[in-house]
Amino acid sequence: MADSLRRRLDFLLASQNPDGGWGYFPGKRSWLEPTAYAMLALHRQSESAVLDRAWSLIETWQLPDGSWRPGADVAGPGTWVTALGVHLHCAHARFDGHFTRGVAWLLGTQGTECNWLARLVGRVQAMTQPGGADNDVSHRGWPWLRGTTSWVEPTSQAIVALRMAAAHYAGVEARVTEAEEQLLSRKCRDGGWNYGSRKALGIDLPSYPETTGLALVGLQARNGELGEALAHARVLLAGTHSRLARAWLSIALKAHREQPPAAEGEPDGDILLAALEAIAHPGGNRAAFCLNGGAG
Amino acid sequence: MNRRKFAGLVGVAAGAGYLSMRASKPEDKGPGAGPPGKSPVAVLKAASYDDDLVAKIRDGAALCGLHVHGKRVLLKPNLVEFDSATAINTDVAVIAAALTAFRSLGAASVRIGEGPGHRRDTLGLAEQARYLHTIPDFEGVFTDLNRDDVRPLDNFAGERFYFPETVLGADLIVSVAKMKTHHWAGATLSMKNLFGLVPGAVYGWPKNKLHYIGIPRAIAELNRTFRNTFALVDGIVGMEGNGPIQGRPKHAGVLVMGQDLAAVDSTCCRIMGIDPARVEYLRLASNIGHVHEASIEQRGESPAALRTNFDLIAQFRNLRLG
Repeated sequence: MADSLRRRLDFLLASQNPDGGWGYFPGKRSWLEPTAYAMLALHRQSESAVLDRAWSLIETWQLPDGSWRPGADVAGPGTWVTALGVHLHCAHARFDGHFTRGVAWLLGTQGTECNWLARLVGRVQAMTQPGGADNDVSHRGWPWLRGTTSWVEPTSQAIVALRMAAAHYAGVEARVTEAEEQLLSRKCRDGGWNYGSRKALGIDLPSYPETTGLALVGLQARNGELGEALAHARVLLAGTHSRLARAWLSIALKAHREQPPAAEGEPDGDILLAALEAIAHPGGNRAAFCLNGGAG
Repeated sequence: MNRRKFAGLVGVAAGAGYLSMRASKPEDKGPGAGPPGKSPVAVLKAASYDDDLVAKIRDGAALCGLHVHGKRVLLKPNLVEFDSATAINTDVAVIAAALTAFRSLGAASVRIGEGPGHRRDTLGLAEQARYLHTIPDFEGVFTDLNRDDVRPLDNFAGERFYFPETVLGADLIVSVAKMKTHHWAGATLSMKNLFGLVPGAVYGWPKNKLHYIGIPRAIAELNRTFRNTFALVDGIVGMEGNGPIQGRPKHAGVLVMGQDLAAVDSTCCRIMGIDPARVEYLRLASNIGHVHEASIEQRGESPAALRTNFDLIAQFRNLRLG
């Protein structure tokens, strides 16, 4: 195993909390998001006892309605963490009641931009605003929280989770395809993705490297339509100073059958980042985000 | 269905902030009289970031009667996005000077905390904005408020809301804001800057829940919730036009300070050529702070003498101060 990968996995192992989860930073309380990414990074790379303890915690954070909450201290659900809960079940081939309830909750959740009033406003905007509407509101994505608008990251996370779940839960294909259409419609003029819109008040918005990576992870099944976006992702990867952005772009390019270089140097004390860098590493858990099982 | 719900339905992604602003008709009702008494606001000239900003911040704190001794201070910059062509963030020189100034005023501790609204790599942003390498031991004094541990507070906009431990543990929160126009709120100053106290780990990136509460109402609620605050607005180089990200740099050459954030923001608006009485969030906050000129005790420079009109996008031209 490469040193840079080993250091990240060792850092994750050393920073696991006694409750089995991980905080965003060592010594902080456990949250679902860093716990999920750490579990994906350590999958098949560590003793099973480490992941068993994490599993026990993850299951306690699922709410009766099937959603997951972001952490021990938060009472309500989050869409992105529910997607990660489903994703973990798929990655560990646990297609149980927790899995089924989680998928059902995701399928019952959508951004508010798809209700009739928002669509009406979108149509008016399309007719009255030079250059058309800021966003296509005809396709449903996923919000961070129920009752709010769809954004790129939770939509991508939900697409990945549901595509992984599709073989074990009937009827997800149409909804996932619709969400992919939403992501495709939100591609910025420069070829990448902003965190939400491609325009605001009629003015083009720039893409960001980390959200471009996330969108491309969500759009793995649409590889044939992404030539320009993948080219832009390569440019962003070469130019960004953000380690988080490099990690997401690398994970995305791996998912699209490319082989980006590994992150070097030491992990910097950020658990979520260390986990993503480990997953992005050429020797990392290739299957963590690859819908084709890591054939890339 | 009320107007807030209507605006929320469309959300930021569909540009509904604009629609909500247009629907709100802020000129319908002016701000209330505010709390009893007057609020001091210090306006100090600062021609550039090379000025002695530590001395100016100490002077401003003294002019406003701020007591810092023994307090745990949290400096909350406006760190949003980086673009070398414009002036989005609180300049690092102001944050570095504030760190030194508040330490010298006897604070028990001074930390810097920020939870950017839509960029997840907070430390990466801090590096681009030169915070990381300019401020000594930056990582030792910085907390990413988006990913801090949290505790709930009840009755924030009528519901339970979570906030970072670092915020809840501070005796004094200093909103070290940037003087900018804002394409949904009209202006973003010390009060709007408190959006960064809301944790992304609970509410996402962006904190879309605040948009559904309504941007003006959420600003007012944050400022009603956190009363242990002081404002320090970086108006040395602000932003005009399509702020808070895509506007143009605008030199105003001022630092504006005070304990009444509504009074500070109202003063900033007057310097920017914006009528604060027409800014909806200030109207909503007029029960916790002063908006009317007669209720603000201007110390240091006269805002009228320093007025320099910030360009406003078409949707907000009605905010122009007469």
